Amino acid sequence: MRSLILCALSLCLVPITAQAGTVAVHVVDAAGKPVSDAVITIYPTAGVPKRPIRFPWTNEVMQKNIAFNPRTLIVPVGATVAFPNQDKVRHHVYSFSKPARFELKLFGKDQTRSYTFTTPGAVALGCNIHDQMSGFIKVVDTPFAGKTNGSGDALIPAVTGGAARVIIWHPALRAKSNEIIVPVQVPDTGTLTRRLQIATR
Amino acid sequence: MTLLSQIRLLLPARLTSSLSAKLTLFYAALFAAAVALILLVAKTGISQYAERMVAAEMVADAKVFDRVATMRYAQLGDASQVLSSDFGFREAVATADAPTIASALDSLGSRLHLDQAFLVDMDGNVIGFRGQLSASEREDLRQALDDGAASGVLRLGKMRFNAAAAPVKAPVTIGWVVFANALDARELAALSKLSSINLAPQILPAKDVLTRQNTGAITEERVQGERFLVQAFPIASFRSDEPQVLLLRHSVTRALANYAPMLWLLLACGLAGIVMAGVGSWLLARRIARPIIALDAAARRVAKGDYAQVQVETNDELGTLADSFNRMVDDIGERERQITHMALHDGLTGLANRMLLREHLAMALSRPATDRRQALLCLDLDNFKVVNDTLGHPTGDALLCQVAERLVAIAGEGFVARLGGDEFAVVVDDQDRPLDRTAHDIIRAVAEPCMVNGHRIVPGTSIGIALLHIDGDDAVTLVKHADLALYRAKHGGRGIFRFFEEAMDAEARKRRQMELDLHEALSGGQLSLMFQPLFNLAESRVSAFEALLRWSHPKRGMISPVDFIPLAEDTGLIVPIGEWVIREACRTARHWPDHVRIAVNISPVQFRNPGLNTVIMQALAETGLPPQRLELEITESLFIDNPATTLASLHSLRALGVRVALDDFGTGYSSLSYLRSFPFDKIKIDRSFIMDLLSSDGATAIIKSITTLAEALGMETTAEGVEHASQLDILREQGCNQIQGFYFSKPVSKAEVGGMLGAGWGPEIRKTG
Repeated sequence: MRSLILCALSLCLVPITAQAGTVAVHVVDAAGKPVSDAVITIYPTAGVPKRPIRFPWTNEVMQKNIAFNPRTLIVPVGATVAFPNQDKVRHHVYSFSKPARFELKLFGKDQTRSYTFTTPGAVALGCNIHDQMSGFIKVVDTPFAGKTNGSGDALIPAVTGGAARVIIWHPALRAKSNEIIVPVQVPDTGTLTRRLQIATR
Repeated sequence: MTLLSQIRLLLPARLTSSLSAKLTLFYAALFAAAVALILLVAKTGISQYAERMVAAEMVADAKVFDRVATMRYAQLGDASQVLSSDFGFREAVATADAPTIASALDSLGSRLHLDQAFLVDMDGNVIGFRGQLSASEREDLRQALDDGAASGVLRLGKMRFNAAAAPVKAPVTIGWVVFANALDARELAALSKLSSINLAPQILPAKDVLTRQNTGAITEERVQGERFLVQAFPIASFRSDEPQVLLLRHSVTRALANYAPMLWLLLACGLAGIVMAGVGSWLLARRIARPIIALDAAARRVAKGDYAQVQVETNDELGTLADSFNRMVDDIGERERQITHMALHDGLTGLANRMLLREHLAMALSRPATDRRQALLCLDLDNFKVVNDTLGHPTGDALLCQVAERLVAIAGEGFVARLGGDEFAVVVDDQDRPLDRTAHDIIRAVAEPCMVNGHRIVPGTSIGIALLHIDGDDAVTLVKHADLALYRAKHGGRGIFRFFEEAMDAEARKRRQMELDLHEALSGGQLSLMFQPLFNLAESRVSAFEALLRWSHPKRGMISPVDFIPLAEDTGLIVPIGEWVIREACRTARHWPDHVRIAVNISPVQFRNPGLNTVIMQALAETGLPPQRLELEITESLFIDNPATTLASLHSLRALGVRVALDDFGTGYSSLSYLRSFPFDKIKIDRSFIMDLLSSDGATAIIKSITTLAEALGMETTAEGVEHASQLDILREQGCNQIQGFYFSKPVSKAEVGGMLGAGWGPEIRKTG
């Protein structure tokens, strides 16, 4: 309940903050190769806007071709994610991650199960039938979030200007909780471009 | 050979001198060297083989360890995989349900008899580990697992484990299950049992071993005299930052000790072999040496004249040598027989020679005398020299052979020998026929005419006979007596035989004594010259003296030249005597008036002596006597033997300027032809014609014809032996130039010559008007 209130508050505050910049992050690995599916979240020192968080993508993780799609999904806290099965086989989606422990036991084709994520954090998805299936849901409590594309680039617009913490998370990132924190000064206008090199497994 | 010489230095000489000992030592030493070589090679080979074996065993052991470890890791890995994949376990891990996790690990660990089964989570927390781990160990472990460690040797605390890990995925890795078994001494001992030799396997951190060993090379270590081979093999390590090695070591000394009995056995066999080689070569050498010793003994016997044969019944070189030796002995014997035959036989006729005759006689004489008479017949061929000179030696030899055959045929069982030249001897007895009959038969048989080389020859022989035991008791005497008898037979006319008589021996002795005395006479001044004047009828004075030799024997008084000149001629003494006469005559004559010549008789022997010319020249030169005052008197007999040579000698004498007179003309074989061929200065008419003057009418005619002939040829004549005045008258009438004889004067001494040279001295010469 409190999170819903907070969410509503933040939505209210957006029009008020006039000064906002864009943060462009380019993530590469130790070898300099672009890293995709790295989740970038920005927490301005001044605090995140008190309003409901909404991302332009669907809160849905499909199972298609014995794989999670998308592999990494960013959802705001409190979001309910659907897990439609588009394969002919059945799946048993589970998560032992602390923020959300659940099991969606043996559902078949064209069956959809859903789960509501109430705690921010990284949730590792697996299939008890297919060990090779791996997916992630990053539950965030900031509206400034995005993931790198195939070129390793992520563009996060309208970030509140001023000092901020940029957190880069990736399942293969060699760090505690698979994330590193980078302090930045988000400009009031314009774009802050950062190249970030991360060590991966 | 140096080895042999060294051995020789160490041993007494007698041991090394024999062939057997030499061979034995040589082969024993050779075998010993071979054994030493074999032992050396065997020892080296064994050593190398042992090292290779140890090295191979180490590699094999390391492979076994590797394979066992891999298998273990697979088992552990599988087991851990099973657990880590279990959904419930994963949930327990994800929810950090430590009691559940620990119980699950414990349950599985017990079931699988694992020493350790524990979980390491992402934060480095360890659940289920039996024992204590420090924080750093936990972090190191987590880091290693995070870096992907899956299996290998893992050291935790003081323990070492074979460990395998499996990640717990949900689906991201949320931790690791680690299963491990202790890698302790028991485990290594079990590994050690897998290899045939004790390799004392050890697991060590790579940093604890030598760099050299880490490269995989075999190294050697010496510990208290023992030699070890050490090799390190890298093995899988759980933590990549802590590499581990398997260290294997084995004592080569101990490995070689296993082969020591074999080497000792080899040495024993070698020593036995040396003894066997020694004994074997000793026996072989004995076998070889025995025939050599036999040959040596046989050679010694042969050297003593015993023609021994040696028995060697082998087919090898020694057998061949023995055969050759036996053949050589036979050949030597045969040659010796030939030589003996040659020494005792005459090469031309094959008859026995003088030496064998002597032996035969000695043998016959050694037997006791019987009633049978045995005789030695010595014979020679009459005029054999003429055959040789005129028909040649081959013909002479052929004649001798024919005569020998005839003698052998006629002698029957008698013994025939050739003594040399034309002398033969026959020893016969009178069993079949009387001895004189035998001698007669021989003479008749030899005298048979024969054809030799196309020449018809009529040989003749004379025989002297000496009776064994009667005429002598030894061979030398017998031969001498038979020779004397032969001598007498030849003098008595040819073609007859004579038995030996004691008188012959006495005469011979007398002759020999006279010969000795004659030597004495020449050196002792017993010889002297007498001079017989030659009276020149026309000049009525002495015109020359003939030198006549006299010998005044100290015991026997005066000896006539008739008695000793033939002897001097036979012995050759005539040459020095004649030389003395010439010198003495010249020496005497040089004091005489110039018209008085000296006449000297020259014996045929003296004449044929090539030194005569020199003697005459020296005598003339020494005395200064003009050559024309020296007159040499020679006899006709010189022309018989060799007229050509005689003529040449006469001419060379004449060239000296001396006069040459022909003595005793008219006797012997007078021929008018040689009066024509040589211009004698004088002819001396033989006294026999002079003596006949008084009794025979024909004699005067002969004298006349001689003087006429001489005058016609421009030669002087001298009549010898004038003893009566009537003879002188006739001679003067017939034109003889000179006379000589007792009527005029007998020979006088040197001192008396002077008186005869005085004026008016002369014989009473009747003037015939």
